[in-house]
Amino acid sequence: MTPSAYAWTEGETLAQHFESHGVSRRDFVKFCSEIAVALGLGIAAGPRIARALESVKRPSVIWLQLQECTGCVESVLRTADPTIGDLLLDVVSLDYNHTLMASAGDAVERARQSAMAANKGKYILVVTGSIPTKEDGIYTVIGGRTAEDLLREAADGAAAILAVGACAHWGSVQAARPNPTGAVGVRDIIKNRPIVNIAGCPPIGDVITATVVHYLTFGRLPAVDREGRPLFAYGKRIHDQCTRRAHFDAGQFVESFDDESARKGWCLYSVGCKGPATFSPCPIFQWNTRTSWPIGAGHPCIGCTEPHFWDTMTPFYGRLPNVGGFAVEQRVDTIGAALAVGAAAGVAAHAAATVFTQIRRRKATHQVPETGTETENDDG
Amino acid sequence: MTARGESATGSRRPGLFGLGRGLSRERGNFTWVYLWGAPLRAMHWVAAACIVVLIVTGFYIGRPYFMTSGEASAHYLMGRVRFTHFTAAAVLVMTGIVRVYWLFAGNRFERFPALFPVTPKNLRRTVRTATAYLTFRPEKQSSMVGHEPLQQYAYTILYLMTIVTVVTGFTMYGQSNPGGIIFRAFAWVPPLLGGLQVVRLVHHVLAWGYIIFAVLHVYFTLRSDYVDRVGRVSSIITGGRYVSTDETYEDYDISKVPAHPWPTPEHPDPKKDA
Repeated sequence: MTPSAYAWTEGETLAQHFESHGVSRRDFVKFCSEIAVALGLGIAAGPRIARALESVKRPSVIWLQLQECTGCVESVLRTADPTIGDLLLDVVSLDYNHTLMASAGDAVERARQSAMAANKGKYILVVTGSIPTKEDGIYTVIGGRTAEDLLREAADGAAAILAVGACAHWGSVQAARPNPTGAVGVRDIIKNRPIVNIAGCPPIGDVITATVVHYLTFGRLPAVDREGRPLFAYGKRIHDQCTRRAHFDAGQFVESFDDESARKGWCLYSVGCKGPATFSPCPIFQWNTRTSWPIGAGHPCIGCTEPHFWDTMTPFYGRLPNVGGFAVEQRVDTIGAALAVGAAAGVAAHAAATVFTQIRRRKATHQVPETGTETENDDG
Repeated sequence: MTARGESATGSRRPGLFGLGRGLSRERGNFTWVYLWGAPLRAMHWVAAACIVVLIVTGFYIGRPYFMTSGEASAHYLMGRVRFTHFTAAAVLVMTGIVRVYWLFAGNRFERFPALFPVTPKNLRRTVRTATAYLTFRPEKQSSMVGHEPLQQYAYTILYLMTIVTVVTGFTMYGQSNPGGIIFRAFAWVPPLLGGLQVVRLVHHVLAWGYIIFAVLHVYFTLRSDYVDRVGRVSSIITGGRYVSTDETYEDYDISKVPAHPWPTPEHPDPKKDA
C-alpha cells in the first residue's frame, strides 16, 4: 500500500474515497462504532461519527519526522493486515512525510511549503521525534534546516498538533540523563497551538486513529490529562485494567522469568512491572491488531507512556528507581537496613558506654558514706 | 520522701549486676506535674500502633515476601494487606488532625512554640544537650520538665516526615481512581518530585526513617529513665511525672507548685498556674 497509488483527490469525500478502495459501507460503519467505543462515547455515537466522517473533505496533514528512530511510523503504518484505521492515517498523511514519500530533496521540501501555504491555519501537524536544542540544534538538520526551525514554521500554520510518540511528547531516550543533545518535546517549543500527546514508545496505532477521527468528527482535539494525553486512552493505569491483576490481589508473583509462577502467568510486579505507575490502554487496545501486549507476553511494563521513563522507570526489572549519582550499586533497602542497623549499633554502643559511666560514677559516690561524709548531691 | 534504704556500695546490689540500682527511687522531695493531655497520649499510642502496622504492611506491598498458591480466586492476600495499610494510614491521618488541633488547644508543652525551638536560648540548649549525650555527661544536659529542644527537634522532624509520607502515600493511593478527589488533590505531587516512581521511592525511603526514629526514640526514652530518673515512659501513659522540687528547671518554675501528687481544686494542674 503506497500512498501515491491511492491518492485521495481534492474534492472527494472520505466516503467516496473509501468506496473507491473497496471498503464496504458495512465495514466503514463497523469501524466508526469501534472508534466511538474507543473514544468512550458509547456505541450509539457510531452513526454520528460515520455521518461526520463520510462528508469529510481531504484534510491536509504535514507529518514531520525529527530526531527519532522512525519506529512510530513503522508502528502506525507497517501492520501486516492494514485496517481502515491504517488507511485513514495513510490517506490523511499524504502531503508530507519524508519516509513515505517517493521523491526526495528539493521537490518534497517544495511540496511541504506549498501544502502549508495552501492550507494555512487548517492543516493537522503530526510530529514524531524530539527537538534537539543544544548547539543551536545541529543534531537534527533536514534540508539544511534544524528540527526546531522546521517545527516552528510548520506549527505556525497548523490548526492542531499531534505529538506522536515519547520523543515528540517529552524527548524519550535522547532526553534521558544526561541528555547530550538537549532534546525536548513539542510542547516545550510550541506554546500557542493546541497539542495532543499520543504517548508511548511507540504509541498504539489505534489511539492515533481514534484521535484523528475525533478531530475530523468534532473539529477539535479530545479532552486530555495533565500530560496532554487523550483521556479516552490514557485515563486509567495499566495496573487497574491488567489481565493479571487477580494474581496481584491474591499475592501471586513472578520472582524470576523462568520460574513456575512465570509459566502460570502470575503478576509481574516483583520483576519490576511499572503497570502501577503507567497510564495506557495497552491491556484493552493491545498491539498488532490485538495479537498481544507486553504483559500478556510475560514481560513487565516499562512505563513507556510516562514522561522521563528512561530515568524514573529504570531499572526496568526492579521495583524502585535508582538514585542518580549516589551509591550506584546499592538499593534503597540495603541502604535503609544499613542505616537502621547502624542506628541500633550506635544506640547499643551509647547505651553500653552510658551504663559503664553511670556504674563507675555511682560507685564513686557510694564511696562517700563509707568515708563518713554525707553530701546533699548523693545520686546513688 | 524517704531516702534509699541502703547507701553503702556492695552491701546489696538490686537487679542484675546492680543495674537495677539505677531504676530505684531518687532521694529528695518530689511533686507530680501534669504534662501531656489525654488526646496527646492517645494520639501517641494510636500513631505508634499505626506506624508499626504501616511498616509491616508497607514492606509487603513494596516487596511481597509471602505468596499464595493455587487459584487466584481463592486468595486475596495483597488485597487484604493493602486494605490494612490504607486503613492504618487513614487512622494515622486522624491522629495527625488531633495533633494539629492540640497544637492550639493543648497546654504550653504541647502548643505550637514547642514544635519549633528556634530561639537562640533553645539552640544553645540543643547544642549543650547533644554534647552531653556524646560525652556521656548527663549532668551537663539542659534541665527541662517538658521536652528538651533536641528531643523536640526529633519530633518536629518526625511530624514533617509524616506529612511527606502521607502526601506521597495518598498520591499513590489516588492513582487507582483518576479524576477522583484524592487523585486531583495530589495531582501536583508527581510533577514536583519527577514522576510516580520517585513518589514511590520517597515513600519507601521514609519508611526506613521511621525504623531509625523508633530505635533512637525507644533508646533515649528508656535511657532518660535510667540515667536522668525523669519518668518519661510513664508520662506518656499517665500524662505526668514526678519531678524533684530540690532542683531548678529551665522551662518550669517548680517553686510555684507545692509538692502535691495530683491536681486538686486548691492545686490545679500546672498548665494553668505555672
